[in-house]
Amino acid sequence: MIQLRHISKHYPVGFGKNEILKDVDLTIFEGEFVSIMGPSGSGKSTLLHILGLLEEPSSGDYLFEGELVNKMNEKKRTQLHRGSIGFVFQAYHLIDELTVYENIETPLLYKNIPGAERKSRVADVLDRFNMVAKKDLFPNQLSGGQQQLVGIARAIVAEPRVILADEPTGNLHSDQARVIMQLFKHLNETDKITIIQVTHSEQNAAFGHRVIEIRDGKIQ
Amino acid sequence: MFRNYLKIAWRNLHRSKAYALINITGLSAGMAVAMLIGLWIWDEVSYNKYHQHYDRIVQIMRQATFQGVTGTGQAVPIPLADYLRTHYGSDFKSVVTSSWTLENIIAAGDNKLTSTGIYMEPQAPEMLSLQMLEGSRKTALQDVNTILLSASLARSLFGGQPATGKIVKLNNKTDVRVSGVYADIPHNSSFSDLAFIAPFSQYLATSGDWAKHAVTDWNEYSFQMFAELNPQVDAQKVSGKIQSVIKDNSADESNPMLLLHPMRKWKLYSEFQNGINTGGDIRFVWLFGLIGVFVLLLGCINFMNLSTARAARRAREVGIRKAIGSAKEQLVGQFLSESLLVVAIGFCIALLLTMLFLPWFNNVADKQIALPWGSVSFWLLCAGFMLVTGVLAGSYPAFYLSAFQPVKVLKGTFRAGRFAAMPRKVLVIVQFAVSVILIIGTVIIFQQIQYTKHRAIGYSRDGLITIPMNTPDLFGHYDALQKDLQATGMVENMAESSSPTTQLFSRGGENMKWRGKREEEKILFGNIACTHDFGATIGWQILAGRDFSREYATDSSAMILNASAATVMGLKDPVGEKIQWGKHQYTVIGVVKDLLMESPFATAMPTVFRLNYDWANVITVKIKPGRDNRAALDKIAAVFKKYNPGSPFNYKFNDQEYGKKFMAEERIGKLAGCFAILAILISCLGIFGLASFTAEQRIKEIGVRKVLGATVLSIWALLSGDFLKLVFIAFLLAAPAAYYGMQHWLQQYEYRTPIHWWIFMATGGAALGITLTVVSYQAIKAAVINPVKSLRTE
Ligand SMILES: Nc1ncnc2c1ncn2[C@@H]1O[C@H](COP(=O)(O)OP(=O)(O)OP(=O)(O)O)[C@@H](O)[C@H]1O
Ligand SMILES: [Mg+2]
Repeated sequence: MIQLRHISKHYPVGFGKNEILKDVDLTIFEGEFVSIMGPSGSGKSTLLHILGLLEEPSSGDYLFEGELVNKMNEKKRTQLHRGSIGFVFQAYHLIDELTVYENIETPLLYKNIPGAERKSRVADVLDRFNMVAKKDLFPNQLSGGQQQLVGIARAIVAEPRVILADEPTGNLHSDQARVIMQLFKHLNETDKITIIQVTHSEQNAAFGHRVIEIRDGKIQ
Repeated sequence: MFRNYLKIAWRNLHRSKAYALINITGLSAGMAVAMLIGLWIWDEVSYNKYHQHYDRIVQIMRQATFQGVTGTGQAVPIPLADYLRTHYGSDFKSVVTSSWTLENIIAAGDNKLTSTGIYMEPQAPEMLSLQMLEGSRKTALQDVNTILLSASLARSLFGGQPATGKIVKLNNKTDVRVSGVYADIPHNSSFSDLAFIAPFSQYLATSGDWAKHAVTDWNEYSFQMFAELNPQVDAQKVSGKIQSVIKDNSADESNPMLLLHPMRKWKLYSEFQNGINTGGDIRFVWLFGLIGVFVLLLGCINFMNLSTARAARRAREVGIRKAIGSAKEQLVGQFLSESLLVVAIGFCIALLLTMLFLPWFNNVADKQIALPWGSVSFWLLCAGFMLVTGVLAGSYPAFYLSAFQPVKVLKGTFRAGRFAAMPRKVLVIVQFAVSVILIIGTVIIFQQIQYTKHRAIGYSRDGLITIPMNTPDLFGHYDALQKDLQATGMVENMAESSSPTTQLFSRGGENMKWRGKREEEKILFGNIACTHDFGATIGWQILAGRDFSREYATDSSAMILNASAATVMGLKDPVGEKIQWGKHQYTVIGVVKDLLMESPFATAMPTVFRLNYDWANVITVKIKPGRDNRAALDKIAAVFKKYNPGSPFNYKFNDQEYGKKFMAEERIGKLAGCFAILAILISCLGIFGLASFTAEQRIKEIGVRKVLGATVLSIWALLSGDFLKLVFIAFLLAAPAAYYGMQHWLQQYEYRTPIHWWIFMATGGAALGITLTVVSYQAIKAAVINPVKSLRTE
């Protein structure tokens, strides 16, 4: 489903450049549940951003379902963001001006889902995350962990084919973290959603099928 | 989706009320100005459209050439009408000879009124498509002794009663029968001031021998002529066909050429220069149109600048939305709908402001514009206007914001680059340049008015009043009237003349001969007849020779020249020179300083004065200095009641009449001034917003600087300096543009103020001063914040 060939990424720093990812080759099959691990600053988020089409690699090829992403136009990428990819950010990134309910609803709006279905889907997700009581609050009225839950809810509500989650449980109590992991596992097993998560926790990683170790921009 | 956008927009407005307030205030002020100007332009371009045959009505104009200069005027001779009817009948549906619009006294029993009216040939009501409330268009002016009244005049004369068939007395001499009543002609028609229309034949019958001659005289240019062309006839072509009709039928050496001036050009293209239709009020349509667009633009610029300045706050949202599937167009759509929301709110306020200021605006602009609430096209135009404004204000921020790359903003590495503020700076410069140009322009307009008002006019306006002699009763007792007026103790002197001091009714003398005159020289002179007391009454200033005097019987053939006349005639020592005019020979007895009788902005016309007690149109009375006007007028009125019992006492202060000559300029000045003030206000609102934004953005930097020992003063200078620089650049750009533009504007006046450099200095200083005041508030607020506080918020 996802194939990276000789991907590298560097940022210009001063007069030189700072290599973050070095010649990464990676293949992830449909239906896999993969955990990416590695020390801080090793390039995990960068890799995930590239997978999520939020950032362009400096060189190398990225194939999404056999199609070369480098060649895709903006429209096609938008289509993938709408239908295929759900992204959970390390820093939650909710829209401050929208309520919990509206934040979760937004991806469905972009997918042009009719009103009634939208309502039931959002209600469903809220229910699943135990957030019905909080649905009319704004992000700044929530704790960090609650915001993270909303971010995850937003990523799964549109039923994407791949969920890319950057430390989805970093701010959660281990019990809550387990619930999320079980949810991911459930989505992965019953709905056949491919899941790629970045995590620092061995326990969380254990929920997946395989672990990718990244160190100094290289896959071990 | 759209609802979602509006929701966010609304919440954003709600959250940052100060910004919303600045945006909405600026936009609504700009839109209100644009709407007022739009209504004004609409009124101007629809001028005369009340008349159904608008497209086919023409006025027949005559051009005459003197000394190589061609003048274009409306005065034509009577025989022309019949000639056009017989020889060009297929082109003209009707030709209507007409008098000038005149003040008349009209009386129904004891109810006497002074009203303006005109005498026209019978086809006039049809041609002008008058809406008849009583009587018929076709027959109303057929009989000599009839009259058509406007609805309001009929009401003033007869109350609510039907007027048709009633008898009224015109100018104390003619009894005429009301043959119909027409609905008042609206304000935006060239004929709006007509309170009545009487048959032209009546005018001829009541105007004495002079009029009888005029009927067949091809060179008696004392009438107007209107015509309606047949459908599908090209006015331009007919104009060419008939141009030499007068020349072919008479021996006028001024090379008279005719031309048709179509009704649609009467209002906006009324000026002719050397025979060519050069424009006219259309200038103001463009000028005010431009001002309207610019003031609106200023409001839009505020919106653009504040939106992009605050981009960082919205950037994260853009990033998130892109990551969860928003296409770029959808983001553009979102930001545009936000600007549309702001514009819609601004529009509602603008509509309110327009309603509020329309009476004032009508007053200043001399209009009777009403908001056309019921008109569908008005609302469509409003919707279009909102859309255009929304796109104008919103598209730049929309494209700017929606172009952000998601990961950059989400990772927090988004920082406005060094040049991100560049467009904002440019826009601020545009705002202040426009404001400065408007201010300099306004100041120079008023300066031109003041400069001209102080121009020496060659006589003394103080205490002069003019009384029209429009009834026969006033003639024939000059001495008695003078004596009675002086006996009131209120009146210094009195005189009669053919023109009041503020107008020049008659020109002529192109065939005068004098010593040293070259044969081919054709000079047109102002031609004034007056009584012995004229000079003494108005206080003219004798430069050489003497005034008319009763002690010289020979003064009946004496002539006084004004200084310009003496100069153009090339007479070094004019006193004593003989001048041949037709059969008469005159002797120049004196030269007076030029009297400014016509436009105060133009050089005075060469003018000759002769004694004539029969050719008098007005009485000029000088009230004794120091007398109370009210009391004096009461006494004077009583004297006039005695000699002219049939008419209401009508008078005009020469001072006020002279003042009216500045009305057009004062109107432009006032409007331009208001727009200039609004422009600077809107611009200041904008930099106020930007200043508060910069202060907020640099709060950490300020904190650090203060910890390092910067004083409040140095921080204030740091923050204010940037804006001062921009305004200074704006001034540098605006000053030459304003200089050039105003230089051009002043060209239209022969008598014009020099453009003083201090105006520019003062305006520049004021702009900088205002900027400093506006910006300082924010700068000082930021500078005095306790640094520990601002640093800890990070
Ligand atoms: N825009 C950028 N410009 C320069 N360097 C960057 C930029 N973005 C990331 N980096 C660098 O790339 C490296 C990898 O960053 P990345 O966010 O991928 O790390 P990570 O593995 O996700 O770490 P963590 O576990 O702390 O989230 C870091 O050293 C960071 O400094
Ligand atoms: Mg990371």
